[in-house]
Amino acid sequence: MVPMENYLILSGILFSLGVYGVLARRNAVLVLMSVELMLNAVSLNFVAFSAYLDPDKATGIIFAVFVIAVAAAEVGLALAIVIRLFRNRSTANVDEAATMRW
Amino acid sequence: MTTEILWWIFAVAIVAVSAGVVFARTVIHSAIFLILSLAGVGAMYLFLTIEFIALVQFLIYGGAVTVLILLALMLTRMGVAGRPEPTTGVQAPFGALVAAGLMATLIGVAVATAWPGDPGGNAVAVSIKTIGEQMFQHYGAPFMITAALLLVAFIGAIVIARQEDDD
Repeated sequence: MVPMENYLILSGILFSLGVYGVLARRNAVLVLMSVELMLNAVSLNFVAFSAYLDPDKATGIIFAVFVIAVAAAEVGLALAIVIRLFRNRSTANVDEAATMRW
Repeated sequence: MTTEILWWIFAVAIVAVSAGVVFARTVIHSAIFLILSLAGVGAMYLFLTIEFIALVQFLIYGGAVTVLILLALMLTRMGVAGRPEPTTGVQAPFGALVAAGLMATLIGVAVATAWPGDPGGNAVAVSIKTIGEQMFQHYGAPFMITAALLLVAFIGAIVIARQEDDD
């Protein structure tokens, strides 16, 4: 019997690690991976709430499904942008991609 | 009791590999840590007895997304071999500060809030039947919109990443 708070604490830690990765790392793909970590933490939170507090309606689970679908779309688009950036600038460093046009 | 011990082993492992994602020096190592972290969260869904989300997690995240990320890493290799560049920017200390504050806040809220219902009991198994009924009876429109969103996103990705002749 694992209480629900354990899941919330775990997902809080994962989310904070993702925030650090997004803010601190320089590689664009790594920033994206950190975003994936954060989205995963959020899904875990949704599913934990759903399983413990609202198992009849499964709202949190439906939410998690949509989060995963949107995350897949986001990864596809963002990686296309990173590849484009790399082709134009020969860098995947987010600090050097500071202008909107080139 | 066995479940609890297993849960703690998995939780510690997930936190460790997720820290690996963020702090690893090589991006390929980060990607491998990310695969382990996503699989660990999938195991967490199994602990919650939500098999459907666990399957989706293993298939979509563990399979498709990580393959995409590995491919993008191989296409965007940078840096001269043997000369390690700093992996974090000048903003790293502020990022650490923000993340630490956020972590303290989230854990504090999770512990201090009196959740309605029975958060101390067992996780209740939600059958795939319930999920399917909810999904298609009450969330049909969002489902369709998500399908359109995926299509548009992938067409957009192709258009952006396409090799143009006049480049």
